[in-house]
Amino acid sequence: MGTCSLGIRVQPATFGRGINIRVLSKYMLNHMNKYLRRGLIGMIAGLIAALPLAATQETVLTGILLATLTGAAYATAFRPTPRAYADSAMTAAALGVPAWVVTGVILFPLFAGETPEWSNQEMRDRFPELVGWVLYGGALGLIAQALNDLALAKLGPEPEPPRAAPPIPKHIVILGGGFAGMTTAQNLEEVFGADRSVSFTLVSETNALLFTPMLAEVAGSSLEPSHISTPLRTSLRRTQVVRGKVSEIELESRKIRIAAEGGATRELAYDHIVFALGAVSNYLGLRNVQELAFDFKSLLDAIRIRNHVIDMFEQADRETNAEVRREMLSFVIAGGGFAGVELAGALNDFSRGILADYPNINPEDVQVVVVHARDRILPELSESLGRYAQESMAMRGVTFRLDCRLTDCRPGNIVLSDGEIRARTLVWTAGTAPNPLLKTLPIETDRRGAVIVESTMAVAGHSGVWAVGDCAALKDGKTGNPCPPTAQFALREARTLARNIRAAIQGRPQQPFHFDSLGALCVVGHQTACAELTVPFARQKSMRFRGLLAWLLWRGIYLGKLPGLERKVRVLTDWAIELFFPRDIVQTIELK
Amino acid sequence: MASTHAGIFAGPISGTVFGVLFAVVFANRATDRGSGLLWGLAYALLLWLAVVPGAQVIAANLSSAFETQRDNFPELAGYIVSYGLPLGLVLGTLGGRRNRAILPALSFARAIVGGGIAGIAGGWAFGKWMEQVDFYPVIASLVGSTSPMVGKTIHFLFAAIIGASFGLLFQRDVRGYGSSMAWGMTYGIFWWFLGPLTLLPLCLGKPVDWSHTRAEELFGSLIGHIVYGLMVGLLYAFVDRLCVRFLTETDPIHREPEGPGVRLIRSVQWGAVAGLAGGLLYTLVLVATKSLGQIAAIVGGTSSALGLVVHLCISILLGISYGILFQREAPNLASGIAWGLVYGLISWFVGPLTLFPLALKTGEVWTAAAAGAQFPSLVGHLIYGSVAAAAFWLLERRHSDWLLLDPRLAAREERLRRPLGTSAPALWLFVLGMGVLLPILLA
Repeated sequence: MGTCSLGIRVQPATFGRGINIRVLSKYMLNHMNKYLRRGLIGMIAGLIAALPLAATQETVLTGILLATLTGAAYATAFRPTPRAYADSAMTAAALGVPAWVVTGVILFPLFAGETPEWSNQEMRDRFPELVGWVLYGGALGLIAQALNDLALAKLGPEPEPPRAAPPIPKHIVILGGGFAGMTTAQNLEEVFGADRSVSFTLVSETNALLFTPMLAEVAGSSLEPSHISTPLRTSLRRTQVVRGKVSEIELESRKIRIAAEGGATRELAYDHIVFALGAVSNYLGLRNVQELAFDFKSLLDAIRIRNHVIDMFEQADRETNAEVRREMLSFVIAGGGFAGVELAGALNDFSRGILADYPNINPEDVQVVVVHARDRILPELSESLGRYAQESMAMRGVTFRLDCRLTDCRPGNIVLSDGEIRARTLVWTAGTAPNPLLKTLPIETDRRGAVIVESTMAVAGHSGVWAVGDCAALKDGKTGNPCPPTAQFALREARTLARNIRAAIQGRPQQPFHFDSLGALCVVGHQTACAELTVPFARQKSMRFRGLLAWLLWRGIYLGKLPGLERKVRVLTDWAIELFFPRDIVQTIELK
Repeated sequence: MASTHAGIFAGPISGTVFGVLFAVVFANRATDRGSGLLWGLAYALLLWLAVVPGAQVIAANLSSAFETQRDNFPELAGYIVSYGLPLGLVLGTLGGRRNRAILPALSFARAIVGGGIAGIAGGWAFGKWMEQVDFYPVIASLVGSTSPMVGKTIHFLFAAIIGASFGLLFQRDVRGYGSSMAWGMTYGIFWWFLGPLTLLPLCLGKPVDWSHTRAEELFGSLIGHIVYGLMVGLLYAFVDRLCVRFLTETDPIHREPEGPGVRLIRSVQWGAVAGLAGGLLYTLVLVATKSLGQIAAIVGGTSSALGLVVHLCISILLGISYGILFQREAPNLASGIAWGLVYGLISWFVGPLTLFPLALKTGEVWTAAAAGAQFPSLVGHLIYGSVAAAAFWLLERRHSDWLLLDPRLAAREERLRRPLGTSAPALWLFVLGMGVLLPILLA
């Protein structure tokens, strides 16, 4: 015994009696699958509208069969809109044209074993069928609409299958809005699509992704600061972005606390957490350096450096003491890796380029010095390219202090292992370390402080904990080599990580990370760069470029990598402006 | 209409009955003059099919006698000009008055300037055919002259006026470039019936000749009107969108969160995939009709393999153009397929009937004989259009589903999509019906 939606109790034993069959029919119609209901309506409508087809097909039976089946297909495929008679009639009549093409022009002749010619004469011969199809379509649209409206009035809306209660979505929290964090969020959005069983939150100290390869150009006043930053909120579709600093992580209870301005904290629960916290500058215990040197990690750092350089030029322009002026115009960069070399090249171009605006300054007083602990700069590149970069920069006025360490720093004086430099500007690019927050967690870290992860980026012994990018100590799943902390690797790691998180949620096997480096590029000055690119399909071999061609490659590749079309256009505009106008020396922030 | 082959009273009576039927079923969709005209034209076509060839076919006495169907052409012209036009305009005008409060405001300046410019550009393209067949003196005879220059001046004047009237009638319907082209094509076909077939002889003091013989003579003019309409639609949409983008959508309050550039790139990607899908299916038609070698001739080759490569490249390019032109036009699969069919038809008129003959230098364009020879490619273009559009709709919906999860974007995304209830279904029937039927009847 059951109860139908009308509240009438139906007893199986009485099915044979008229009244109960009617009730049962109504019950069945009410609970029928919506596609079955549409199909039935379509079949009936097709049958009623069959006359034009029956009159124009080879046989009446063919016409009726075709009309019934087409009616069922039409009504099943297209969701009915109440009282849209005009729309239905015209749409179905219009679709009569392709129906004629498919059946009358293509399929029937093929079934009949005729070679299709689709000639003018053949089309003319089949013209009556075209008329039949269009008229049938118009009638079918009208009748199907009427029957759908009737069904809506008598039986109610189309039955929808009972939906299970929406699952409580798995919450994936990503800590860090750098390359690794942002790309993980983007890839999670991509792999999960419109799946509502997961939700994402990205916690970042800034509200934008900084495109660090172009940071030196901001310091060198070549690019506008905001042009190399992509807002997280506009780049992510379904990820909730929370700007704040993570103050505490409880792995046991799966909660994090975010410190907000004014001392308030916000708590977030998670099912999966991704550490993409990146790296911070590592001053190797040199407290004075930490206090006096400029950092070169963030957009604000680059803006500060640029404004400081301009400030030094303004002060030097009015300074009468030659020693002090030379001290003001000496810019020391600690570290001869990519960041230090690119910054040195950009600052050298900038400071020498603006000399025309400071007629009281002697060009000889300007010096840009790179201090590096090894015997050559750019150890990431092959020796020949490193030497080329050094010679090229030296020709443009950059001084190198190699095999030399920075040991201390005092105002106006930079102490090196082999002497001193009188300078008021020191930029630190000589070392980085993973975010110190990770050391506070009960998880295993390496000597640098990076989280040791499996080749799938999962943290062993902690379900739902993942790490990616600069803060992860990851070994390549194929070669076993450590993955370098570069943006190139972070992007690929993030892609694999997103798929692995989905696999973990869906209980499927995860994939180990593997990626062969594509190479490296470094700008060393005006229209000059070094590039070492891996040969496709021959990973052990690389191609080396230098000079203008390498510079063009650098610009092309990084412009392509810069996220967002709008940002690309802005950067291109900046580069175009730079071709025709001198660099801007407006001070935008006040330095204290 | 029916009066042409019935008693003197039968025409008005049947006209009244059908008019009432139109008012009952379609009047609520005729919200202004433009939509009223479209519904009227589509209704007239459907009515002609039902009352004239339909009745004959169903009566089964003429099912294989094609000549008789051609003899029905005067009735078709009569239904369009004497019935659909006035009926649609009257009901559209009444609908416009009724819906005055809710209809979006019409920008007359935008409609007239944008439409006028588009009309002149479209007139230039049409003028090439007029020069080819020496039609300008015929136009000049409207003012008692035989000078081609006078004819040319009058032609451009008409082109600008018709273009401006396009803007006035359809400004509210213009959303994307592709749909605007389809509206333009409809308007072009309509003006072929009204202009050279009806008004021109009347203005020259001659009797109106709606015979299929006269229509066949003016077949080039039909394609000229279609190409003119396509250009008017495209350029009007361009000018109109330019105005809207610069004057309205640059306002931060109205700006889309997802910039048009981003959407454009996505449409290009989806269009390329969709075009490839359509092209692969179209390949079956080319193989069946052994036409791959002809396609290779475009790049100076003869081999089928080269033809296939060229064909797939063209398919991808066409798919990309579909993506750019028809983004956000289809609220459901049916409308997606319908737009695809319309685009397939448009590409048939523009490609095999216009650009390919020009590229291959095969002689005169827009001739009935050339159109007749291109029927196999019409079949292919319709298949291509429907498959590519269905694939594009699926890709677009996948993205939209994802997009609509974000409440910030959902409302604006809905607003940008073409809603149900516009005159698009009428347009599909008229364009597809006429676009297939007229070449069959006249070519």
